[in-house]
Amino acid sequence: MSQFNSDSVPDRESGTETETETGTGAGLYIHVPFCTSVCPYCDFAVTIAGQERRRGWVGGVVREAEMYSDVGLAFDTVYLGGGTPSSLDREQLAQIVDGLSRNLDVERQALLFLEANPEDVSFPNASAWRDVGVHFVSLGVQSFDDSDLAFLGRRHSAADARSAVEILRETGFSTVSVDLIYGLDGRSENHWRRQLDLAVDLGADHLSCYQLTVHEETVLGRRVANGAVTELGDEGLSELFFLTHEHLANAGFEGYEVSNFSSAPEHRSAHNQKYWDHTPYLGLGPSAHSFAGGRRWWNRRKVRLWQNALTQGTLPVDGEERPSREQLLLEALMLGFRTAAGVNLDRLHDRFAIDLLAENEDVVDRLCASGHIEVDGSSLRPTLAGLAIADTLARSFSA
Amino acid sequence: MDNVRSFCIIAHIDHGKSTLADRLIQHCGGVADRDFRDQILDSMDIERERGITIKSNTVTLDYTARDGKTYKLNLIDTPGHVDFSHEVRRSLMSCEGALLLVDASQGVEAQTMANLYLALEHDLEMVPVINKIDLPAADVDRVKEEIEEDLGLDADEAVLCSAKTGKGIEDVLEAIVERLPPPEGDPSAPLQALIFDAQYDPYRGAVLLVRVMEGTLRPRQSILLMHSDKSFNVEEVGLLQIKKVATKELAAGMVGYVIAGVKAVSDIAIGDTITDTAEPAADPLPGYKEAKPVVFSSVYPMSTDEYTDLTKALEKLKLNDAALTYEKDSSVALGFGFRCGFLGLLHLEVVQERLRREYDLSLILSAPSVRYRVTLTDGKEMWVDNPSLYPDRGSIEAAEEPFIKAAVMMPERYVGAVMELCRERRGENTTFSYLAVGRVELTSEMPLAEVLFDFYDRLKSVTQGYGSFDYEMLDYRPTDLVKVDILVNGEAVDALAQLVHTEKARARALHYCERLADTIPKQQFKIAIQGAVGGDIIARKTINAYRKDVTAKCYGGDISRKRKLLEKQKKGKKRMKMVGSVEIPQSAFVAVLKTDRD
Repeated sequence: MSQFNSDSVPDRESGTETETETGTGAGLYIHVPFCTSVCPYCDFAVTIAGQERRRGWVGGVVREAEMYSDVGLAFDTVYLGGGTPSSLDREQLAQIVDGLSRNLDVERQALLFLEANPEDVSFPNASAWRDVGVHFVSLGVQSFDDSDLAFLGRRHSAADARSAVEILRETGFSTVSVDLIYGLDGRSENHWRRQLDLAVDLGADHLSCYQLTVHEETVLGRRVANGAVTELGDEGLSELFFLTHEHLANAGFEGYEVSNFSSAPEHRSAHNQKYWDHTPYLGLGPSAHSFAGGRRWWNRRKVRLWQNALTQGTLPVDGEERPSREQLLLEALMLGFRTAAGVNLDRLHDRFAIDLLAENEDVVDRLCASGHIEVDGSSLRPTLAGLAIADTLARSFSA
Repeated sequence: MDNVRSFCIIAHIDHGKSTLADRLIQHCGGVADRDFRDQILDSMDIERERGITIKSNTVTLDYTARDGKTYKLNLIDTPGHVDFSHEVRRSLMSCEGALLLVDASQGVEAQTMANLYLALEHDLEMVPVINKIDLPAADVDRVKEEIEEDLGLDADEAVLCSAKTGKGIEDVLEAIVERLPPPEGDPSAPLQALIFDAQYDPYRGAVLLVRVMEGTLRPRQSILLMHSDKSFNVEEVGLLQIKKVATKELAAGMVGYVIAGVKAVSDIAIGDTITDTAEPAADPLPGYKEAKPVVFSSVYPMSTDEYTDLTKALEKLKLNDAALTYEKDSSVALGFGFRCGFLGLLHLEVVQERLRREYDLSLILSAPSVRYRVTLTDGKEMWVDNPSLYPDRGSIEAAEEPFIKAAVMMPERYVGAVMELCRERRGENTTFSYLAVGRVELTSEMPLAEVLFDFYDRLKSVTQGYGSFDYEMLDYRPTDLVKVDILVNGEAVDALAQLVHTEKARARALHYCERLADTIPKQQFKIAIQGAVGGDIIARKTINAYRKDVTAKCYGGDISRKRKLLEKQKKGKKRMKMVGSVEIPQSAFVAVLKTDRD
């Protein structure tokens, strides 16, 4: 079995930031479109499919990797997202990892990320993941409360969630991350604090806390539309956002991005960081997005259409764009202000030949005075209040 | 010249003037049946939609009468709204006679009388026409009585017709031929032609609509515009027969058009006299009374780069809307624009609509204002219609504002409500009289300023749509005026400042604050909206801040979607006007400054 070298993963004690800062390597994303059931709030490209289609998908990803063999990128992170990557069996996982290493330039020390659902976490599965080299497991807990889980249509129980975190910890992954969702109507702030405390107490190294977003084209969206479910208002959601950041800060977690928290710098998601700082990435699988050579492109969303294209020997690309300098600059601000590190002015100057501060003196003065940003050496950092209005910040600058 | 008749139709709004014009054109074959559009003279969309005539249009018809002769009938369509009486005057000067149209069910109305007096001033021969005789509610005998008693015309001479069904149309045409005099004038005398209107043709420049009084106009003739003292060479003359039909000449008595390569709009004054350069007339024709604007508003383009377009559009509009006045103006919040003068609120709306439809411009108009007369402590007098030019309070000795005589016609049962409305609007000497059984005319002496702010709306609502309103300017009377400023986070928004009577200041300020609070979107800081007179805050509203706008998820690499959303917002922001650090969308200005007439 081929595997990424899990021994080379920076260990917890070393605390080096080199891997999590802008590395030279590109990111590789694999979209696993399969779920055992579709969550009522989910608007990702997912499907419930039998083993035959799963096998077909594995073959498709490997074929797609072959087609990109001359893409000219060296990957130092590989992320299996979905969907439910943890529902792939040991053999399928091995085939994928093998197929990627054979066809693409995946560095020997590349970090492998895997999204997992609590119901799929068992000691045998966890060790299988460990064996193929998974380094970072992102566990879709969402809540440690059974009524929340029922509302969200999840298949696992609160007990499953707790034991899943424990199993992953014991198996010895470098980073165990817990996903939680806030903003369910009718839940108190204390209830949400308890969820955060439980994740911290169970020893999670990393947390992703997402606000429940109601998309129209989902079961939840319909329930909201017909009045069966009410949405928490903007005020309530703002409260929870600040509460989350403040509460986790007290627990020793750094909110390094709008929704992401790490107990130590080495536990940050090195893969997601690439999206935020314009590092190139290649996405394989249905609906996957790619960014390289100043070009963005994205795959067909439907598994069947994606598969058909590959069978016919063509790339399953649905659309592409080549963002202008202005667009890339806007992205750099939009993404930069989402992170606690903020916008790196030197890098911005190198990339876009622009002195952002000089051209926006009034804006900077105003936003500093209102406590939304801070100028820190060559960085323009959002405060917590600024992080909350990252979109406004990005819009405020002219360049 | 004996076979020429020039006439207009004067009537109260809605009495069927345009329909009668349509029918006359159709009867004379001025336009093929299949090409016929209702109210063909109302060529502007806005006229057609509102069922009102704003601009005079002219058409020459060929009519073969019962005596076997063919006549050229010049029909000059006149506007029926009070704001446009200057246009009526101008049209009347080009005619020898007029059809006085009265609705068989409504009878003689105030406006019918006002227009009759105008016509009589110009010595026109009158033919009363009773229209809509097909209606079940038609009461011809009663209307005849009114024509005799109220108008002093011989009701036996009234022609009965239904413009809708076509009944009696030939009688109307025969009356025109038989009873209206042919024009006088000598085709070989020195040229005197009256410019009574103008259109703009993008390829040929100004098209002047003229009535030749004396002499003859021919192509290649060198002409002089006596008032503006400019010479041109005539390229083409002709008749307006729905389309322009070129002719060899326009002799005394004829109505038609002249194209003379006039490119600069400023060269033309409606009402000017055309004469021959080589053989000029001794004097220009007696001029019109110049129409004086009474309502003023600053007009700004939505986006500042449309300023040049607005400039050009106003120049062209001015060409055939002589009453419109404008001069440069600027606002800190809204950029460069024009201070425009209008004959009334309807005129203002018509101009706004024409700029929008014909010139594709989106505009913001400041709150309409009247023109105040201010006496300063040093004894000097000044006129102020722009709040930003209002002198310091300490230097004002006295102020006066224009009063109107408002006339409201309505069924009797609304009298109480309308009297109350007039009282609210500072009406004085409010009285009423019965026009007929159950129909009342109420008159009130009222500040014009009170009519500018949602008066029509309120009138419509208290009379359930049955009230009609008319007014004439009266005089200037002392007033107690204050300047209300609207502040957004402490900064005055100049475009929202208003001159208001002291008693109304608080209510008006609150109204503005509320509307702004409803239309300015939440921002990342609290926004205070205040109404102030001098240093005193008299109204206040607050817009709470939003604390979060960032979306939780931004991973999976789909950056494009999120960026596009942001681009859209950023584009929206470009259309925002900055007041201090507050972004105010144009829609807020539009909502706040709406005159409430729709």
